[in-house]
Amino acid sequence: MARSFAILRALALAYRRDWTAFQSLAGNNFFLLTAFLLRQAGTFVYLIMGLVVLFPLSTDPLRKIPPSRLALWPLGRRERWILRLASPWINPLTWGLAALAMWGAGRIVTVGMWAAIAGLFAAAFLVSALPLPGGAGMWRRVPHFPGPLNQLVRKNLREILTTLDFYCALILSGAVLACRVFGPALPPEALMAMTVLVVAAMSSYAQCLFGLDGEGGLSRYRLLPVRGWRLLLAKDAAFLAVAIPLTLPLAVLPGIGAALVTLAIGHAPAAEHPRPQTRWRFSTGGGLGNGAIQLLALAMTAFAIFSTSTWFLAPALAAWALSLGWFGRKAERVLG
Amino acid sequence: MISCRNLTRRFGEFTAVSGLDLEVSTGAICAFLGPNGAGKSTTVKMMTGLLSPTSGEVTVCGLNAAANPLELKRRIGVLPEDLGLFDDLTVEEHLLLTGDIYGVPRHETRARTAQLLHALSLEHGRRTFAAACSHGMRKKTAFAMALLPNPQVLFLDEPFEAIDPVTAKIMRDLLQSVARHGVTVFLTSHILSMVERIAHQIVMIRQGVKVWDSAAGDLPQSLEDHYFDLVETPVVEELEWLGPSRS
Repeated sequence: MARSFAILRALALAYRRDWTAFQSLAGNNFFLLTAFLLRQAGTFVYLIMGLVVLFPLSTDPLRKIPPSRLALWPLGRRERWILRLASPWINPLTWGLAALAMWGAGRIVTVGMWAAIAGLFAAAFLVSALPLPGGAGMWRRVPHFPGPLNQLVRKNLREILTTLDFYCALILSGAVLACRVFGPALPPEALMAMTVLVVAAMSSYAQCLFGLDGEGGLSRYRLLPVRGWRLLLAKDAAFLAVAIPLTLPLAVLPGIGAALVTLAIGHAPAAEHPRPQTRWRFSTGGGLGNGAIQLLALAMTAFAIFSTSTWFLAPALAAWALSLGWFGRKAERVLG
Repeated sequence: MISCRNLTRRFGEFTAVSGLDLEVSTGAICAFLGPNGAGKSTTVKMMTGLLSPTSGEVTVCGLNAAANPLELKRRIGVLPEDLGLFDDLTVEEHLLLTGDIYGVPRHETRARTAQLLHALSLEHGRRTFAAACSHGMRKKTAFAMALLPNPQVLFLDEPFEAIDPVTAKIMRDLLQSVARHGVTVFLTSHILSMVERIAHQIVMIRQGVKVWDSAAGDLPQSLEDHYFDLVETPVVEELEWLGPSRS
């Protein structure tokens, strides 16, 4: 018993530290946009964010112990059962669901809603506890790109796929696509607004482009005989390879313009102060000021292209190219 | 091929490397030895253009390392201390990336990749992501990346640590082979038996100061004894609580 409790204590400590990584949400553009600008109208967006966050929050806490270590510890059958049954209760979400079942179902939420949340929680828990044989790396299959930066772009694309920002944008874009296919025709203004939301959902990532490379990755960048602007270009190509398809069912040209401006402004914090990021969390941008300027600029660019002329793509492209050259040199100095 | 003149690096009050003079000729294997924190990695970083010296000068392949870091990087291969791998690339993708970045033609990159994967017994794990690789696999991947562009100089930071004996032998043979072809090898290591077998030149450093520099054949005693005499004498402490008869 004492051994099981010692492990559970250590597990709780590790889990608590892991939860602090969700504070990254506070520095996320999309969250700030929803909190400050959309307010009541942002309930739909909060629901999407909640849904996206639910999956990493629901993983099996026992996964934090490497299986080889768990197998080595001198634990009896009974102690292993205690660990298995008690460890899910380290997750505050389990307590929340239990409390909701006892006092809230039928009052705060409907029984059906509770069942849906509990079902998603259980599914995420089981998937993490019982990894699918051979299928775990399927989602990492990404296309090839032309040119010598191919492998760097692919790597960057895989990094984007491990941020919650992308899944938030994906759900938003998918929802509009479903609406366009199965629902009534949407006014072009609504598509433009959703385009801004989709690019805004990914904009914080543009401020921390080197955040998921880790120390090893940064060390490799220093060794490669590659100019800083090309390293940034590989990052941008991956970002655009995600952002453009996501805006295809919406307003694609304003989306491209907004994505270019997002990158142009995001280069500054990304190159000057590379902030380490955590996988399967929302990206944390470089500060409130950066986020506000980025959101304003991307919304204005999208609006200008949508309401006046496609020619506004040209200044967006020029701003991006200038930023790429300038901050490429900065990145070289910071990384090198 | 490698030349250091009065090389010094300070971090605030702390002097990591002090007045290092060193010459390594083309095709030589130079082992740079010293305890942890002696200044080996700092020296390697200055030689590879990753760190500017506080004073003094490093020339590698005829290039001043601090003034021409980009050109220097094109001519050298490095196995860094932290291996420098990307979690989101597979073993094979790391090698393909290296070929692309160093301008090796695609068909040649593929051929060299296949050869290196085979030589270093990495074929079975070629599609494994670096994040999921064992330390040995990661080290072999970083070693293969250093070799693939066919550099003029190889800088290897502790290449034999955490490597199985067979791979260590393969790496040793590869290094001896590249040195015979005129590639200069500069390596740091704590495995003195391995160093004794392959090095042509031995340099020892202690607290940032060079304490020995000679051809390997000019050592007055075994490398291990000489190292213990000059660099660090081991102190063995008895742990009384170890053993079945004690509690």
